Amino acid sequence: MDEKDLVRNSKEGDEEAFGVLVIKYKTKVYHLAYSLTQDAQAADDLAQEVFIKAYFALDKFRGKSEFGTWIYRIAVNHCRDFLRKKNRMTQIPLENIIGKISAQEDETFPEEKEQEEAQRRKVVHTTIQTLPDKYRVILSLRDIQDFSYSEIAKILDISPGTVDSRLHRARKMLRKKLEPFFSQKGEGHEM
Amino acid sequence: MKCKQSEKYLLRSLENRLNPSVKIQLKSHLDDCPQCRKRQSEYQIILRSLKEESFPETLPYFWERLQPRLKEKRKIDPWFVGKQFGLRAIPLSILVVVLFTAAVFLFIPSPKEELDLSQTGVFLLQNSNPLEETQTLLSEEGDGNKHIMLLFSSLDETNDIGRNLP
Repeated sequence: MDEKDLVRNSKEGDEEAFGVLVIKYKTKVYHLAYSLTQDAQAADDLAQEVFIKAYFALDKFRGKSEFGTWIYRIAVNHCRDFLRKKNRMTQIPLENIIGKISAQEDETFPEEKEQEEAQRRKVVHTTIQTLPDKYRVILSLRDIQDFSYSEIAKILDISPGTVDSRLHRARKMLRKKLEPFFSQKGEGHEM
Repeated sequence: MKCKQSEKYLLRSLENRLNPSVKIQLKSHLDDCPQCRKRQSEYQIILRSLKEESFPETLPYFWERLQPRLKEKRKIDPWFVGKQFGLRAIPLSILVVVLFTAAVFLFIPSPKEELDLSQTGVFLLQNSNPLEETQTLLSEEGDGNKHIMLLFSSLDETNDIGRNLP
């Protein structure tokens, strides 16, 4: 059964058909939620809510785009709502995050080099959390999830040109925020 | 090439989205500008860190945990069940209407048109007996009754209050 049939059957209330679609897209939706929240439990909850939302909105899916694009759009919007609410509640200064992570001794990586790499990754991912939602989303879609420019344009319902400029601003902003970390580590001088 | 422009191009170059001539210009700028070289190296670190993100596995029984939530939500939202039923009901109701209309045209005879006929026409074409009423009166037993009824039946014009005119 192809995806169109699965969608049609799901619209008619066939839960098993919808189950096949869930199994196909759950990992990507979960990863998207995880990259935006950095919290496995929250990402799982969000992914479940995304599929619930999609199931009850199936009659609005006209098939103009791919089902995958449609579900990612729901996921992005749902995660944005979640982040907006969460950001209202907690706002941790970036300096605290970088200082805290840099001071941590990660015992899971005995090799010094690996430990440093892991720490760097952690700092970068945590710093993304401090960016405005629209930049966080675009970095997640392009640089973490590896979606193409045209896919991102469809998911976010913006032009590929806007994807390019927004991504450029997001990367620039992220680098600016990471400057204290790079100077602290003495990185970025020569590769 | 200025530093601001080079930042834009070096981000594109990291994704191999730069045409060869700009690539050469960027390279010569980077050779001369330590600040932009530093930036390039920082961007490389950032992009590598993002691409290397390790994702945890999805929590087990994702679909099994989702199913009861869907059922529960459906109970709360009876409109959704209605909508699902409605989707199937639309073609069915169209079919019923079409069949009903076809049945009306095929099986129910159209009512006869009322013809605008003169009294003679009515007698001749609708096979009515013009003397039927008179015959009924004449078959009455009492002579007095016959005369009075014949007299009244000849007066078929009535006034406003329904009485026969003299």
